[in-house]
Amino acid sequence: MPDQHIDLNDIQGNIVKAYGRFGYPKARYIFFQFHDVEAGRNFIRDLLPLITTGRPWCKDQPPSATTNIAFTYQGLKHLGLPTKTLHSFPEEFSMGMKARADILGDDGESSPTEWDPIWHHDKYIHMFMSINAKSLEALEERYKKIQDLLKKSSGLVTQLRGHRDGQRDDLPYQEASAIFVDGKPTPTEHFGYQDGISDPYFKGSGGNPLNVVGGGKPTRGDPATLQGWEPLETGEFILGYPDETKELPIAPVPTLLSFNGTFMVYRKLHEKVKTFHDYINNVGKDFPGGPEAVAAKMAGRWRNGAPLVLFPTREEANAFAQEYEKARELAATSAKGKKRYEELRLKRTGFNFGNDLAGSRCPMGAHIRRANPRGCLEFGIKDAFATPGALDNRRRILRRGLPYGEVTNPLSDDGEHGVIFMAIGTSIERQFEFVQQQWINYGNDFKLSNQKDPLLGNHDGKDMFMIEGGSPDNPPFFCPEIPRFVTTRGGEYFFVPGLTAIRMIADNLIDPT
Amino acid sequence: MANLISEPTPLTVLSPIKNGDDGSQTFASLTRKYLQSLDIHEKSPMAKVPNTFLCRFFVLNDVFFEGSPGKVDHLKSKYLVFCCNFHGDLNTYLREFWQNAQQEAQKIWRHCVAFEQVHDAESFIDYIKKCELNTTIYFNGSTGLPLDEQLKALYLKQEFSQFACEKQGLSAEALFEAFQKFVERTRPADLTGPTWKPGQNTL
Repeated sequence: MPDQHIDLNDIQGNIVKAYGRFGYPKARYIFFQFHDVEAGRNFIRDLLPLITTGRPWCKDQPPSATTNIAFTYQGLKHLGLPTKTLHSFPEEFSMGMKARADILGDDGESSPTEWDPIWHHDKYIHMFMSINAKSLEALEERYKKIQDLLKKSSGLVTQLRGHRDGQRDDLPYQEASAIFVDGKPTPTEHFGYQDGISDPYFKGSGGNPLNVVGGGKPTRGDPATLQGWEPLETGEFILGYPDETKELPIAPVPTLLSFNGTFMVYRKLHEKVKTFHDYINNVGKDFPGGPEAVAAKMAGRWRNGAPLVLFPTREEANAFAQEYEKARELAATSAKGKKRYEELRLKRTGFNFGNDLAGSRCPMGAHIRRANPRGCLEFGIKDAFATPGALDNRRRILRRGLPYGEVTNPLSDDGEHGVIFMAIGTSIERQFEFVQQQWINYGNDFKLSNQKDPLLGNHDGKDMFMIEGGSPDNPPFFCPEIPRFVTTRGGEYFFVPGLTAIRMIADNLIDPT
Repeated sequence: MANLISEPTPLTVLSPIKNGDDGSQTFASLTRKYLQSLDIHEKSPMAKVPNTFLCRFFVLNDVFFEGSPGKVDHLKSKYLVFCCNFHGDLNTYLREFWQNAQQEAQKIWRHCVAFEQVHDAESFIDYIKKCELNTTIYFNGSTGLPLDEQLKALYLKQEFSQFACEKQGLSAEALFEAFQKFVERTRPADLTGPTWKPGQNTL
């Protein structure tokens, strides 16, 4: 039951719904520029009826396609927002992603100079739009509608070109799609991992209450149960509500502009599939369990999604994954099946690292342990903090997005395939940038000095990743000379206003005085 | 009404907006949207309501969150807030409000709880009085004289300033003649005109 004090009708749908998991496996990301204030406002006003809100779909027939929009700092400036309002936005947002490359570790082959051409110009991108759809036909239909609205601007709002797809580098949009196997969408990305399993769960999101397990903030209760978790405060993800400090998050003025809005990070992340497979195959020759176990240790989950903490062996993980998939299929057909599926879902999310403090199951530096420490930063010291999540509750991010491209040649890193990654939260600096800088590209908080996230770190071929053993007959194993598996191909920071705020921007009603 | 001075009369009204939505937007959002679409100054519908000195409508979403360790309180509904100061007594003001801007009042309050029971001036007066809050301190931007007198005074002040500026240095005879023309043109004793329009904020 959504919190009645949170108006989901006024919140954009992509904040509370990970569309890919709701049966919208196709997506298109489009970027626009405004050349005239009035034309920009008119375009936005025309778009308003198409924008998908966070209203729960159980009440209505779900749409066949969704649409959401967001603005860069330059975009808001070109829509004529008052200077006082512009100055009230956080610095990282007004600087934009490229200017934060040092913080994000976007260096070498991830440098902005290497990004898709659309990102090469400064102050160029003004508006982001995402279309998610149940089918390619629905996607095209919605896209055509947008094109018709765009034509009304007589060229004063332009759709920006410059996305690469392997053949061309001037495409007018970024296409994305779940990876289909046997005609069915899967939740995996190009390295073969199931993705997006534990997304933060917050008060008023309207999501399935069971998602609090692993998605909320840890209590000192049993992490396998609802008692082990509480919903995060709304203000961590939506502006205008108290956050984990019991204060309102810092937000741009006037209040009605920021209320029900948030910030979003968009990143195009190329996955070097050949490098990844070569690496796990090579290292797997020496590691007990082979390449699949190396892949699991790097992520903290087996590629089928089973967490190492609960399923330390590949056999256990495979048996679980099979049962889980079967239950998922049966869930739609019977109440009993649904119950079983929900029980099994909790086994993918209902854990922490309290019984694995030495990292003998899930390495300290594994991706999931870094990106969502689940209260493990107390390092087993009883009541080290007032709450076990004191150091990580304010570093959570809602993850959105889908894979893009196809791996046509697994023996090559070239081609266009990766993940369109989006992170949503009320502070880009405190949440996404901190996680990226301190937890992905550094290791001190995990007592791992300057080790990086094995999968996402901006490695230079010299880094190593330690797989803790934890006992004399199970010595530590060092994965040497880790290459960079994931490179950045583009990205920007966006403000995602609520529906009232979008209307007020369109009607030139933003008045911070 | 806690009005210790006789003029102007202040009024603060909080009308609860129905919880729920029309299928896509909450009634509070719809109310705000309508309020933000209203014209202002002399084109404001409130310019048609006699003796309104100043007024403001807004939607109150919730009580302000005071931060830790304060208890988190919420209002049971969102409120349409109407504040104004006017000349005269409340009954007369509200009756004339209804008589001159009935359609606008119906649109502004349409999503408020029980407003469907308002169908004439008397039920409007009753409704507003039920939603009225004691006004103990308010922005007083007016002398309290009837609006037409104030508008005429503003008009004359502005015209006379212009006159004084333009005619300085004239001989006594020329000045007298010019002033007679000024009086003929501006008709200081005639409240019907020429004068400012209600809602007008600049010439």
